[in-house]
Amino acid sequence: METNFSAENSLRLIAETIDRSRRTIARNSGKPLILWGTLVALTSVIIYALWATTGSPAWNFLWFAMTAVGAVCMRSMTRNSEKVPDTEISRTLGKIWMWFGIFATGFFALVWVAWGIRTMIGIEGPLSVDLTLIIVLLMGLCGTLSGSVLKFKPITISAVVATALSVTFLMVMPEASAVRILVFLILGLFALIIPGIILQKQTNN
Amino acid sequence: MPENGKPFKPLDPLLHSELRLAVMSILLDADSADFVYLKKQTGATSGNLSVQIDKLQQAGYIDVTKGFKGKMPQTICSITDRGKDAFAEYVEALRSYIPGSV
Repeated sequence: METNFSAENSLRLIAETIDRSRRTIARNSGKPLILWGTLVALTSVIIYALWATTGSPAWNFLWFAMTAVGAVCMRSMTRNSEKVPDTEISRTLGKIWMWFGIFATGFFALVWVAWGIRTMIGIEGPLSVDLTLIIVLLMGLCGTLSGSVLKFKPITISAVVATALSVTFLMVMPEASAVRILVFLILGLFALIIPGIILQKQTNN
Repeated sequence: MPENGKPFKPLDPLLHSELRLAVMSILLDADSADFVYLKKQTGATSGNLSVQIDKLQQAGYIDVTKGFKGKMPQTICSITDRGKDAFAEYVEALRSYIPGSV
């Protein structure tokens, strides 16, 4: 394949090669969205059931277990799928969701620290910070950014719709109630599972 | 001489080859890629791809790192700054050959 060729053919080859490589990299990128969406939705239902039954919000620690299960599933998924190189886009997406994880975990830890301090010094009543709303907004923002980076409108639109539905749900539901955790069922479905299925179908076609 | 009166720019002979150009195009988009991925994307034979990768490496256009992934040997290629510059110059030169693009 040591052939020389025309300028037009060279430019066409460059465009086609980059396009083919990008399509290979995009292949299967819907699967992680479907996986994490399913995990988020399932975990929210499980936490809701346990919280409503026992009356303890401590079941929220199951989110950490979900993260561990997700990481194991992702590792297995990556091992079984075609090895594709990292690109600027994939690294940017990784960083967006890494910072979401850091902020979400950080807020979660801060709430527990603040709750502990308040208990120690004898302040009663619920915290004035709505952790669920903060996480929902963070997740919506990161989903919207991901759609913009990928230049894939279904993800951007789904993230905006999911955020609007979720914030409305939180405003309607009573404060400090177990049912509010079901907001992650909405987010998982609209921000992750649906765009994941659309992305996967487009890739398969 | 092209229609616009400007001289044709010389094309880098190292890049003006189908397989080497395909390899450089892939590496320009990806941070790095292993030999198996490059082989699959270009449809080249292992022998031919090895030869062309060697030529690009000798010109300083790509870096090649050989190692192991588990027990399997792995060759990772990545584009260098010199390779990026050469690619940009090559594309610029190509445009001088296409009427109306300069």
